[in-house]
Amino acid sequence: MKLGNYELKLERRATLAGWQAAIISIFAIIFALALFSIIFVQAKVNPLLAYREIFSYAFANRYGLLLTINRFIFLSLCTSAFIIPFKAGLWNIGMAGQLYAGALGAFAILFAFGVKDFHSLNISPQLLIFLMLFAAAVAGAVLGAIAGFLNGKFNINEIVVTMMLNFIVFWLVAHMIKEGGPFMNPGGRGESFELPSSLYAPLIMGIPFTIFLALGIAALLYFLFAKARIGYQIKALGKSPAAARYAGIDTFKISLLVFVLGGAVAGLAGYHYFAAVPGVYKIARNYGYFGDLSFYGIICGLISLGNPIAAIPVALLFGGLSIGGRLVQGKFHMSFGVDYALLGVLMITLVAFQFFYRYKIVWRRRKD
Amino acid sequence: MWEFIARSLEASMIFTFAALGELIDQRSGILNVGIEGVMLFGATFGFIIAKSTENYWFGFLVGMTIGALLGLLHGFFSVTLGVDQVVSGMGIWILGFGLTTYIGNPYTGPLGLERIPTILGLSPFFYVGIVLVIITWFVLFKTSLGLKIRSVGEDPSVAEVSGINVTRTRYLCVTVGGMLAGLSGAIYSLFYNPVWNYNFLMGWGFIALALVFFSMWNPFILLGGSLLFGTLWQLSLNPQLVLPGIMSRYIWRATPFAITIGVLLIISTKWFRLRWGAAKPEALGTPYVKE
Repeated sequence: MKLGNYELKLERRATLAGWQAAIISIFAIIFALALFSIIFVQAKVNPLLAYREIFSYAFANRYGLLLTINRFIFLSLCTSAFIIPFKAGLWNIGMAGQLYAGALGAFAILFAFGVKDFHSLNISPQLLIFLMLFAAAVAGAVLGAIAGFLNGKFNINEIVVTMMLNFIVFWLVAHMIKEGGPFMNPGGRGESFELPSSLYAPLIMGIPFTIFLALGIAALLYFLFAKARIGYQIKALGKSPAAARYAGIDTFKISLLVFVLGGAVAGLAGYHYFAAVPGVYKIARNYGYFGDLSFYGIICGLISLGNPIAAIPVALLFGGLSIGGRLVQGKFHMSFGVDYALLGVLMITLVAFQFFYRYKIVWRRRKD
Repeated sequence: MWEFIARSLEASMIFTFAALGELIDQRSGILNVGIEGVMLFGATFGFIIAKSTENYWFGFLVGMTIGALLGLLHGFFSVTLGVDQVVSGMGIWILGFGLTTYIGNPYTGPLGLERIPTILGLSPFFYVGIVLVIITWFVLFKTSLGLKIRSVGEDPSVAEVSGINVTRTRYLCVTVGGMLAGLSGAIYSLFYNPVWNYNFLMGWGFIALALVFFSMWNPFILLGGSLLFGTLWQLSLNPQLVLPGIMSRYIWRATPFAITIGVLLIISTKWFRLRWGAAKPEALGTPYVKE
């Protein structure tokens, strides 16, 4: 495009520095929020007022902030669960199923120790909490392993497999908690039995200890991909499967490993929401909602270009947006699903902005 | 029993339309993993329009139009902008899932229109579906347009050299493919189960995606797969028809998904691939950049 003595041109980027990627991502988020104002305007709500409400509730209100932090822990774990296979060029969209599996694993421990019926324990709560965490990670990892095995061994499309597993476990949870299932609440409300209060996850200033898991895993992953040999192998597979094979990397082992790790982390997210968030402490009737929320992990992972540390502020922001979105929905009498709509708009904007990771617009004086 | 067969055929046609659209996409080398999102859009907008105008035709028309637009959007991202096709497809799915939840919610509930009449006791879409499968097969394998589409899907740079407009061919395919997926969603919400509910599709689109992989990219095998999965789906809703009292109804709901994984496993074994060859379009999923 020519304008007087200047021209506007698209140029392919040779490299993309971290700060450039960060700027593009920030622009993408701002653009998405601007685009989302259409939804507010259409619902006859002043968008500026709505965003002020969202941010002040999510980040400045005591109750809102706690909700945001809990949501952040969940999203951060889901994001890590997405990023690990993503680095190997594989798509884990099975965080939903893996976190349901994690929740089932954690509650299975309680079931095995007879907590459902007796509410009295002669085993130390700390040990039980640890066992629950462990079982959640293992259950998630087993589900992940199915996808990793099928992908690594038979080259089966991991997107389809993880999605199928999501639905399989979704119905399995329904079986377990509804209509006389083994984990059913004695009150028969279509949800699981509740945790005895001695097994509530320890809180630090009102925040569940799982926040250290989320931050620790992100830091560990950063180190893994930056320094460790295995991280290098994972990235090599992601860059080029053929080249990785020539370099003697066992691609089957890597596919299996990334899905086992991803699944385990997603399983912890399941533990977090159903056994550590104050006020929940059971597999709620609307567990599907938390499964759907896990898809925010895909966006966080993509927008931070698979950098686990960069994903932390993004997960915090999206956690706040989804919490604030719910508040605004109630406050301005908007239709159900404002947080879902925001998820969709963020995602599609991000897809469009992918273009700028590969091209740049240059503005310069014409040569002729 | 007759009712069960008729109902299974209805379910099968939803898979057929969506998967046929995806097959056309993939034959031209474009993978759209977001058909579930396109179906949700087609179903929700078709439902809203049909409900508010009390006219089925408008509903189906809007469902197809929105599907075609989303197909175009996928084409714009993956053909013009060269964005990773999986990223773009995921984007369309999450957009569909998120936005239709919000937009459709005020219309939660039954459609409240007289049901679409059946023809000889079967869904009218059954006849349309059979005709569409034959047309798709004919166009893909017996016409010069089909040859163009397949060559673009196999090797776009060779196709370009032999004078085929890769961009235009791919745009055509994604638009038609999106239209069929949108129509499939509208058939779901206007005919198969005319009630709007939160996230009602629950995996139909992803099974349709898997069906395309099973079908060896052949419309007739695809029809067979759709009939099988339509019947399975119907069985999973009414397990008492075959095995009364065994397993809870929730476990039955999970079976079509488990069988999908099983079938994917069978077709990816060496035995199967040596026997049936790899019909997969060679350029599937890779963006084409003209040098």
